[in-house]
Amino acid sequence: MTSTTPSAPSGTRESTAWVVVPLFNEAEVIGDVIAGLREQFSHVLCIDDGSTDNSVALAQASGARVIRHPMNLGQGAALQTGFDYVSAQPDATHIITFDADGQHLVSDAMEMLELAQRKRISIIFGSRFLDKRTKPGMRKRIVLKAAVLMTRAITGLRLTDAHNGLRVLSMEAIGKICLEQNGMSHATEIVHQLAKAKLSWQEYPVEVLYTEYSKRKGQSLLNSINILIDLLVR
Amino acid sequence: MISQWVLVGALALVGLYLLKAKRSANHQAIRRLFMVIVLIAGFVAVLFPEYTNSVAALLGIGRGADLLLYSFVVFALFYSVYQYRRQLWQEKVTTDLARSLTLTQASLEDAMTELGSAPR
Repeated sequence: MTSTTPSAPSGTRESTAWVVVPLFNEAEVIGDVIAGLREQFSHVLCIDDGSTDNSVALAQASGARVIRHPMNLGQGAALQTGFDYVSAQPDATHIITFDADGQHLVSDAMEMLELAQRKRISIIFGSRFLDKRTKPGMRKRIVLKAAVLMTRAITGLRLTDAHNGLRVLSMEAIGKICLEQNGMSHATEIVHQLAKAKLSWQEYPVEVLYTEYSKRKGQSLLNSINILIDLLVR
Repeated sequence: MISQWVLVGALALVGLYLLKAKRSANHQAIRRLFMVIVLIAGFVAVLFPEYTNSVAALLGIGRGADLLLYSFVVFALFYSVYQYRRQLWQEKVTTDLARSLTLTQASLEDAMTELGSAPR
């Protein structure tokens, strides 16, 4: 097996779920994000998508297994590469997708995984709109709601949050996914393919932390038009 | 006017091609046939300019020059859509290649780690 840091105690940590973290130039925060995940999870996989800073070294130092794209392909491509890698690991039962920019809580990921295991649900989507913890602000709220409406129209799945990077997927669900959208349209594409596969799913309330850092990298309202075109023309 | 129907039909075909085109030998054959026809039409238009006028009149377009302009716009659109689709396909190929490189390298590293940690 591929444990990169055998030093940490592994008895207490979750070892059948793999955390998949697409990584592109997040040197400011990636060390802390990985360290936080490694406290709970034995297997944290980073897919470096051609970072030009020292993100890779920092992620490795914090205990992640890092695999590298030869050039920047996009977050969707990185996720799919991660799915392919974990699919080849014999002991993997679940994949948790987790953003590298530090906006998710490890405790939310743990609770979602526990729910997926206990009730045997194939897919748990994180949603920031199911409770009052997350305060996105007016502008962000409008952008996200536009994306939600778009996703509903395309997929027919009535999710409350379309662009949340925190998800728990069983390996059965992973087997039904083949992401072809390299860029940011993959979030809608995942929902689309899972809706077609007719697997059990549920949403789970999570908090999204809007730090100064993550606010600098937001999506715009016009991007929902990109998503629509990406999914229509392929 | 006939010309309007023809042009709207041609634009609709371009749109359909954008959404539905597949990479198949049939499509390729149709594209090549199309190119040959356009080429022949070009020769005819150069050698017998008066023909463009009569075809234009037949379609209800004022002059042969207008007919040429309209046809040019439709062909140019069709060509850009074709190139756009080719580029999408090319991106997919590049992604598949990059991914297989990444996974090959990763499994090599894993194998090395396993060898290194195995009891001698």
